[in-house]
Amino acid sequence: MKADTAIQKIILILAFPLTLSGGGEISGQAVPGKDENIPFLVTFGKNGETSWGDDDFNSIFFFTIPKDFNRQFYIMVFDPDCGGQNDEIQGLFDSRTMFSVYGGKGVDPDKNIESRGLKNSDNYKLGNLLASKVFGSEDIFDNKYYAFGPFNPTEGDYNEKWKSYIFKIVCEGITGDDGNLYRYFLSREAASELPIEGANAFTYEYTFRMWNDTKSIAHIYPYVDTGIVSIKQRNFDWDDDGVILVVSTYKQGLPVPISNEDDEKVSVIPVETAEIGKSLDFQFHKKQEYLVRNNNVVVSLENQRGDALQFFSSPIGGVPVYQPVIGIKKMKR
Amino acid sequence: MILFVFITENILMAQEKYPYEVTRLSFNLPGFSEISPVIIKDGIMFCSDRRLSGVTDRTSFDNRRLYSVYIAEKKDTSDWRRPRAVKSERSSQFNTGPLCIAPDQNTVYFTSEIETGVPSRSRKFRNHSGIFTARLDGLQLNSIQPFEYNSREYDMGQPSISADGRFLFFASDMPGGHGGSDIYFCESSNGEWSEPVNLGPKVNSAGADNYPCIHSSGKLYFTSNRPGGLGGLDVYYSDNINGVWETPVRLPEPINSSSDDFAFVALPDLQKGYFASNRRRNDDIYEFTTTIIRKASCNPLEINNYCYEFIEENAVKYDSMPFKFEWKFGDGNKATGRIVQHCYNGPGKYLVQLDVTNLVTKEVKLNEKSELLLIEDVEQPYISCPETADAGSVIRFSADSTNLPGWDISQYYWSFGDETISIGKNVEKSFARPGTYNVQLIVSTKPEQGGMVREACISKNITIRRKP
Repeated sequence: MKADTAIQKIILILAFPLTLSGGGEISGQAVPGKDENIPFLVTFGKNGETSWGDDDFNSIFFFTIPKDFNRQFYIMVFDPDCGGQNDEIQGLFDSRTMFSVYGGKGVDPDKNIESRGLKNSDNYKLGNLLASKVFGSEDIFDNKYYAFGPFNPTEGDYNEKWKSYIFKIVCEGITGDDGNLYRYFLSREAASELPIEGANAFTYEYTFRMWNDTKSIAHIYPYVDTGIVSIKQRNFDWDDDGVILVVSTYKQGLPVPISNEDDEKVSVIPVETAEIGKSLDFQFHKKQEYLVRNNNVVVSLENQRGDALQFFSSPIGGVPVYQPVIGIKKMKR
Repeated sequence: MILFVFITENILMAQEKYPYEVTRLSFNLPGFSEISPVIIKDGIMFCSDRRLSGVTDRTSFDNRRLYSVYIAEKKDTSDWRRPRAVKSERSSQFNTGPLCIAPDQNTVYFTSEIETGVPSRSRKFRNHSGIFTARLDGLQLNSIQPFEYNSREYDMGQPSISADGRFLFFASDMPGGHGGSDIYFCESSNGEWSEPVNLGPKVNSAGADNYPCIHSSGKLYFTSNRPGGLGGLDVYYSDNINGVWETPVRLPEPINSSSDDFAFVALPDLQKGYFASNRRRNDDIYEFTTTIIRKASCNPLEINNYCYEFIEENAVKYDSMPFKFEWKFGDGNKATGRIVQHCYNGPGKYLVQLDVTNLVTKEVKLNEKSELLLIEDVEQPYISCPETADAGSVIRFSADSTNLPGWDISQYYWSFGDETISIGKNVEKSFARPGTYNVQLIVSTKPEQGGMVREACISKNITIRRKP
């Protein structure tokens, strides 16, 4: 029942804006998602410094394709190269980045925890390598999409809980020290953004770039599954750039300790019953006094048992909105 | 007459009636005297000089008829069985009674002559009365013992023992009194009775003060022929406030009359009791029932409370959250905080709004949450009166704030706790003496469909201070 409920929620969430917008974009296909207000994911070349905002020089994302979807699809990478526009240069652009798409057995992170790649020792490349490509600094890919695929949904690793086929894309900074900034889009076509109804994307460790705008607020949306009573958050290399607030229907904005340059901060957040089965909204409010430029940050969460939480590009249950509760009681005389 | 003095003078829209009804008991005998009732489980004990049997009077050596103790039990709620005599080794030659019975319902304190030997047979001998104890075995008084303070020099008698058995009140003309007979008490400690203590000049007058009855409420009822009465002996009561016996209050008619009215006793709730009177020439025992309504179950007045605490329930759990909460209470007032308090002026509908400022983004969410607060008065009869007042001052009691929607109230009945009443929505009243009085307001409707009368009672204490 839990799996049914969760997947139904995904479908509802994705279908709802489609209905409202009369065929508009389904934001769950874009990584980072529309609600996240994150310009780019970021992966540095393996010779980079962790103080630049990437603690492991790779990034792993999972895509869920509903089992009812039976057409081919593409995983598009926007600006896959490391050079030209968007990317973060360190001296010269000399980095090479490899994107690899995996399907088949071993990909599903529920069945194969190492697939999440949260530890350096994890063999996160299990599964069938469906496609891969190494990008350097190439104008033809600069600020443009590159499409992996086509893939058949059944090439993924079927997950009964989500009733979806799981695919994984791994981004690795294999040489150099520059920061590759990029985005993904799950599309029905190679040349345009055509979302797949009911699809979603998630990761276990979010490494992303903040907008260079003091008024910008980035959001990431971890899903609070049944049985979670507390969450241990870890943020890395936030550069003391403002405030991180946790918002839910129950929490108006709980500040968490923030990390500085090449630093991590860990804290435990209590989870209330009312928050189960919904998403949290981790809000990243940049410092107002001055602009911290090109801030990259890494965030990961685990529950009280040490299991990592998923961040969904399209928040399950929708973007959580705090619901104030007014209590009025007569005073004792 | 305490009750009606103020009624005739001051009451607004009030009606007047006697607070008691009295009935002469059926077992009183013409030509004989029945006095000194004592309440027991199934009826009363009393004293009478009636014949024990046959046609022969028992008389003392000086040819006076002797009093004996009798037990009269209730046959039903309106009638009595024939009284039965309680006998003792003294009853053939000496008076027995007045009396009282200890809380154990077994030990009897009674009045009788002290001297029972040869001197008592002399017509010239003045035999004084004293107090004796005995064990009541059925209709027999056994193990008679004299009270340690009996004296051959003066009279002691008419004992009354407190509900806890600790105090024994009695009348005596022992030296050192205030004239005539006075009322005294002894206190029991470790099985020993203290020396008699005179109740002082407020209770004891220059005349005869006797027949004490210490009631379970702490009131001392007694009889006196002091000036200012209705005639002959009258029944008074005095409250002991902080160890001081207050100025006695005479009970109203029809308990007191122009004849001798004496030996008053009452049940714990004071709704019913007995006394003796010679208003029909002979001393007879009368039963009284109060017409004053005192409800056993009467809720204390719940003061209308318009003060509320407002909480942002989630915010209070995480006090580190960077938000400012501003509450608008709907009556023009505001307050800031996660938890705030506000008192409204009165009932009404108030729209409570919460504005929240995010201290990080400086964003202000106006009216992020609102609640309609409906404040209503408590549905109850309502007593408006001061909490405290001086003795003798005129106090206004108002039921104007009574909130009983749908009730067509036809009567507002005030029972002031001092055995006085008033009727009316707004009344005035003065309390003669200091103390704390439990005022009850009983409202009732006109008969509704089907004849049903709805009634509600509320009570409130008022403290009366000594007149400055």
